[in-house]
Amino acid sequence: MSTTTKSYGQLFMDGILKENPIFKLALSMCPAVGISTSVMNGILLGTAVLFVQVFSSCTISLVRNYIHPKIRIPTYTLTIATWVTVIDLVLAAYVPVAYKAMGMFVRLIVAFAIITMRLEMFACKEPLGKSFVDGVGMGLGFMVGMVTLGVVRELLGSGELLGYDILGFQPLLFFILPSAGFFVVGLMMGFFNWIEVKYNRRKEG
Amino acid sequence: MKEIIKITFALTISCVVAASAMGLTYTLTAKAKKHNHHMNVQNAMLDLLGYGEDNPAPSDLEFMRIYRYIIDEDGKKIMGYMVPVEKNGDVNYEMILLDLEYNFINKFDVPISPEEAQEVHDRAKALEQVFAPNQSFSYADAAVVAVAGGKRVGYVLPGQFPGFRTFIHALVAMDPSFELLGLEVMEHEEDAGLGAEIEEDYFKNQFVGVTYDKLKTLEVVKKPLPEEYKKYLEREQLKEGALTKEQIDEIRKKYKNADIYAITASTISSKAVTDGVKNVAKKFAYRINKLDDVLDKQNIEIAF
Repeated sequence: MSTTTKSYGQLFMDGILKENPIFKLALSMCPAVGISTSVMNGILLGTAVLFVQVFSSCTISLVRNYIHPKIRIPTYTLTIATWVTVIDLVLAAYVPVAYKAMGMFVRLIVAFAIITMRLEMFACKEPLGKSFVDGVGMGLGFMVGMVTLGVVRELLGSGELLGYDILGFQPLLFFILPSAGFFVVGLMMGFFNWIEVKYNRRKEG
Repeated sequence: MKEIIKITFALTISCVVAASAMGLTYTLTAKAKKHNHHMNVQNAMLDLLGYGEDNPAPSDLEFMRIYRYIIDEDGKKIMGYMVPVEKNGDVNYEMILLDLEYNFINKFDVPISPEEAQEVHDRAKALEQVFAPNQSFSYADAAVVAVAGGKRVGYVLPGQFPGFRTFIHALVAMDPSFELLGLEVMEHEEDAGLGAEIEEDYFKNQFVGVTYDKLKTLEVVKKPLPEEYKKYLEREQLKEGALTKEQIDEIRKKYKNADIYAITASTISSKAVTDGVKNVAKKFAYRINKLDDVLDKQNIEIAF
């Protein structure tokens, strides 16, 4: 029972642009504001979300016909928590270097709205293949959003990109402080909407 | 009524599946995780003793571990030191029983290899075989003696002490004259941006070079950290040439026996760590001196 008529390519691109979790759906704003102070943070958190999103989407999609409708949300939470724990343990055991940098982010993900939301809106209705593509698209979309924010904030806040000194001075320390997160996210949202409006107008005209 | 049973059943099944998945992963990864932990501790110890890329550790460097136990013998408390001894070139463990005034009572072999002895459960198993039924034992703490070239080059003491949130696990390193070589925070749950700063160089490096005499009166001061001192403490992160060699020596001398500057807005965490380090270091210095006396008098061939 599939309800979407979108192609795989469309699903994938929607996650990155048209339904970008941060700029369009405005989900998971806490990490978007709090952790997007550098490009590296964006990449690490993005990777972690990508994996958890894909695994959880696939799991829910596989068992979608057996989930009792009244306990959907607890089931989603349980699924996400299980995958987060599994990824946490595996990283700690086999990739200790990555774990040192990502461990904290991975554990945060249990409470991310974007993942629960995609399970509720998409994976619980759609077959495995489409849920997988949707998960990848959303995960990458989140990563793109975090990295975009990271580029702006790291460059303007500390004059660096990925830790490399680009400008040689700190233009505005304000940009790496938490409050700047709101401004940058807001401006980016406006920017994304502006592009969409322009694009649609051109298509109509 | 029927529905509630369905829901309960569905939730139970989901939980069992989730728990099994997590349990299975835990079992499969436990060994590798433990190995990583051992490597972390090993690297942290080498780092604290000043060995690294620029100053490789001597090839005969060995870490000898001493384990202290409290033994209850028919309601009377005595101490047991499980120490590595050398016999025909091999390292074995011996249990030395002492009363609370450090008078020698007895000693016996413990059938365990130094590798196995690192695991608290394996030690307990071996000790159960050698203790009499009327003696119950409980593990107190451990200390690591770094030996190279037949001499002690330093001590590393694993310590845990209450922080602002939960217990802070740390390694404290001292040289043979009990001057602090450094502090490494291994685990903690202090608040990010506040108490969590205890693991930053500008805080933990303040302990480096504190002499044993100063340690006894070491205090936490609520004053801003002087800029030049901060630069000195963080010199490993700075670009080369930020401080000249002369400047480093000058600042080191100036702050040689300074008190610990508290982390801004985290005095409790700062004080917890300082008191913890003091406590661990002072007690160890007292105990090892007393223990060395006893071992010397009893002519025990220790491996450290």
